[in-house]
Formats: sequence, structure tokens, C-alpha cells
Amino acid sequence: MVKYTTVSIPLNLHKRIEKLLEGKSGFKSVSDYVTYVLREVVTMHETKKLPEPFNINDLKELKERLVALGYI
Amino acid sequence: MKVAVFGLDSVPPEMIFEKLLDKLPNIKKMYQKGIHGPLRTCHPPITVPAWMVMMTGKNPGKLGIYGFRHRKNNSYNEGYIVNSTHIKEKTLWEILAERGKKSIVIGVPPSYPVRHLENVTIVSCFLTPSQEKDFTNPPELKEEILRLTGGKYLFDVTFRIEDRESIKKELFEMTQKRFDVAEYLAKKQDWDFFMLHEIGFDRLHHAFWKFFDPDHPKYVKGNAYEKIDEEYYEMVDARIGRLMDLFQEDCTTFLLSDHGSAGMKGAFCVNEWLERVGYLVFKSKPHDKVEIEKAEIDWAKTKAWGWGGYYARIFFNVKGREPQGIILPEELEKEKKRLTQLILSITDQRGRQMKNHVFEPETLYGTAIGDKPDLMVYFDNLFWRSAGTVGHKSIYLDENDTGPDDSVHSMDGIFLMYNPQKNEKRNSIKARAEDIAPTILSLFGIRDGLNDLDGKILQEAIF
Repeated sequence: MVKYTTVSIPLNLHKRIEKLLEGKSGFKSVSDYVTYVLREVVTMHETKKLPEPFNINDLKELKERLVALGYI
Repeated sequence: MKVAVFGLDSVPPEMIFEKLLDKLPNIKKMYQKGIHGPLRTCHPPITVPAWMVMMTGKNPGKLGIYGFRHRKNNSYNEGYIVNSTHIKEKTLWEILAERGKKSIVIGVPPSYPVRHLENVTIVSCFLTPSQEKDFTNPPELKEEILRLTGGKYLFDVTFRIEDRESIKKELFEMTQKRFDVAEYLAKKQDWDFFMLHEIGFDRLHHAFWKFFDPDHPKYVKGNAYEKIDEEYYEMVDARIGRLMDLFQEDCTTFLLSDHGSAGMKGAFCVNEWLERVGYLVFKSKPHDKVEIEKAEIDWAKTKAWGWGGYYARIFFNVKGREPQGIILPEELEKEKKRLTQLILSITDQRGRQMKNHVFEPETLYGTAIGDKPDLMVYFDNLFWRSAGTVGHKSIYLDENDTGPDDSVHSMDGIFLMYNPQKNEKRNSIKARAEDIAPTILSLFGIRDGLNDLDGKILQEAIF
């Protein structure tokens, strides 16, 4: 049996999702839709590495830019 | 109570309060009805760390930030570039967020990588490598910004001085887009503190100063970019006016800059000079220009070396500290004093005494943490930049060894504070960069727990 907990979202966002779901089959409720979306997002983060803030090329380009600007 | 800040990078008082004021109707109205003065920036007068000094109220020594780039530990050649993860002190928007106040912060450096904070909407600064990265808080704001800007948001201009026309085009596009994003966010969400930093002024000054300043040694009358300063400042003034129309009557607006700008007089080859005075020894002296990191230095005989930039950093080669250090730790103070005296006696190529300044970080700041230089040197009141490369025939260059040769930094930026509910011109004040955070926090009634800030509340500004 799946256990559930409560998560809060802003009322405005809830209303926007309700509007999105109007007339669409497949999602029974806002909770249903939100659970689906979040599951996708969390899985993506868990299984795929997020881009690093700076890779080697980024750092090289940044240094070149700072040299071009006279900071180095 | 709301506060808005326009951070106009590198804008000097001489440009905005004097030369161009009459062409800037929105800024002029604030100037005539508000309180203004120079803003004495931190040492060193550089974008990083100056904005963080303003936003934390703490000096560079407490922040441990002495410029964009730092030496890595005590190495000879390794360095790293400062990013947001190096800022460990709380900014004023973080302090406001803890008290439930909401902020919008656009482009304030360094703000990449983005901090995913509650109550703070962030668009990261010009250190962001590209729009492919996660550059907003909340993350989904990125897609909105890309939609708003036609799929292309510009963090910075591509700075190739051989193509100034492209720089000009990108400069205007970048700034217009940033103001579009600012207007979008200011309308869309509730906020108590709003800050927009525009790096465009700094790029304008570095790329075009010799074209629009008749006093620059390389100015040529009638050139194609003679009025580019007016054009750009006017454009931003108009956008500031549009944005301020969205602010309510209870919003106090600040115009600040992190340092001033001035025409460059020359570049002083600090490492070439250190070789001449016996502090730096080459294994093989280069005859063509080369970066100091790539030069063959005889570390076993070298006592000190320096870095180029808008100011010079000097590092001593200390036994037990540097890998092949030769100065005994107990001799270091004596060596610093000796080299300081030599630096203070440097003359320019015409034999005129240069007005040089030498600082030790601990003396300047009280505490100096992190990867600090041993000495900080300003050549001729900052009018001469420091050239770190070697292989030059002279220690004086009339052109920059690496980048543009148009402008240098100066110690005074701008402070302008306008409260539309207080419609009277008040006296000019003298503010310091460290005073900004405590002053803005006090406008929100926050004065407790700020004892460890280096700045003070500008009483004459808020009463």
C-alpha cells in the first residue's frame, strides 16, 4: 500500500494546473498530475548527471575573457 | 518599504554627475531631488570583490577575495577564478530572506553558480559560461527568460577589440535584454528588494574610452565612436525611467557603482622591473612577450614575482611556504619593507616620480583570509596598469600587454539615493562601499546582529 504525505504548492499554481487539465483525460486530479511530473524530474536528476557549473572549456574561455578585459 | 538598486558597473561620478547629467533626464531628476556623492570603493577597486563588499558590508580581507583571479595556495603558476561558491558571508538579500522579505537579484557578480535560495529570485552574472547552464533561481525561470529574449540572453559581450562594431552591437542588445528581463520580473512578482547590475558600462569604458574621452592620450577627434558614451548612457537612463515607473511611491532607489574609470596612461612591466632590481631571476631570459606563468624562472634565485591587471599583486618566494622558497620567514618583513621602498621610488619614462601605493592586506583589512597576495601595488594612482608579461624591451608600455588600452579603474564610484517621498535636494555625502549593506538593511529596520560588518549606517542618508 503506497503511503502519501502532504506537500504545499502556491494556490495560483494549483489553479493553473487545474486549467491545464480541463477536458483532458489521463490525470484524475492535480495531485495525480503533479506526482507524475515530479517523478519524471526526480528520475532525470537521479539518472543523468546535471551539467557541471564549469567544465574545462568554460574555465579556459573565462580566463581568456578576463585577459581580454585587462583583469589579468 | 521597498528598496531598488541599479548597479552601474565602473561608472565614475565625473561621467554621470557632470559630463552627461544634462542628457540623462531620469537620473538628473534623482540627482536633483535625492542625496548623492562619490562612493569610495574597496581595495582593490575591482568588480570582484567590490560588489560583494557592498552587498555584505564586509571588506575584501574578511571575504578573502582580492580580485577575479587568485593564486592557488602557494603555487607559482596555478590560479583559479572566483565564483559564487567562494562567497561565504551573507549578502543583504540573504539576510532579508531570513526575515521573510523577497528579493529579485539580476546579474550581481559573482552569482554563478546560482544559489537556490528561498525568497530570492536570481539571474546569474557575466561569469555564467552560457545560457545552456542553470542560470536562474528558480530553475524554471530560465525558460521564461529565453522566451522573453528571443532565445538568446547575453551575460556579457564578446570582447574582441579588433571588432569594436560587434562589441557596440552586442553591448546595446545585452543591456536592452537585461532591462527587459528586469521589467518582466518587477511586474510579475512581489518583491521588497530589487537589484539590477549592468556590466555594460564597464565594457563600454574598457572598449571605447579612448574614443570618447578627449583627454585620453590616444584620442582622435572626429572618430566614429566619439558619442558612444552619450548614446549608451542615454539608453540606460531611458530604461531606468521605464523601470522606475513600475516602482511604487514607497520605493527608495539607489544608483551605485563599484569603482570609477579613467583614461589609461600606460602599463608598467612589474616582472621586468623586479628582474632589474634583482628580485626575479630567469633561467633563460625571454626576448618575446610571454606570460609570467610560461617564463623560465630560476625559482632557487628568485625572491618575488608579480601579477598584471588593474593593480599589481606581489608574491614573495618564502622558504617553507613556496615550493622552492628562498626567503627565510623571519626575513620576510624586512624584504617587504625593502621592496616597498623600491616601488615607491619608481619613476616613469620621463623621470617623473610615480605616485605609487603599496599595501599589505593584513594592515589594510585587519584580517586577511584566503589566497591573498603579499603586497598590493597601485602604479601612479592606478593610472598605470600592471603588465605581468615579460620579454619586453622596456619596463614602460604605452599599450596594454594583453587587453584593451583604453581605461583603468579609479577609487571613486557613485552613490545616489532617491526617495520620491522626500522631495528635497540634500547635501552630498561621502560613502564607502562597506556602508551600503548596513544602510539598506537599516531602511528595512534591520540593525541587530550587524556588529561584525565593516561598514556603518549612513545616518545622513536615511534621516
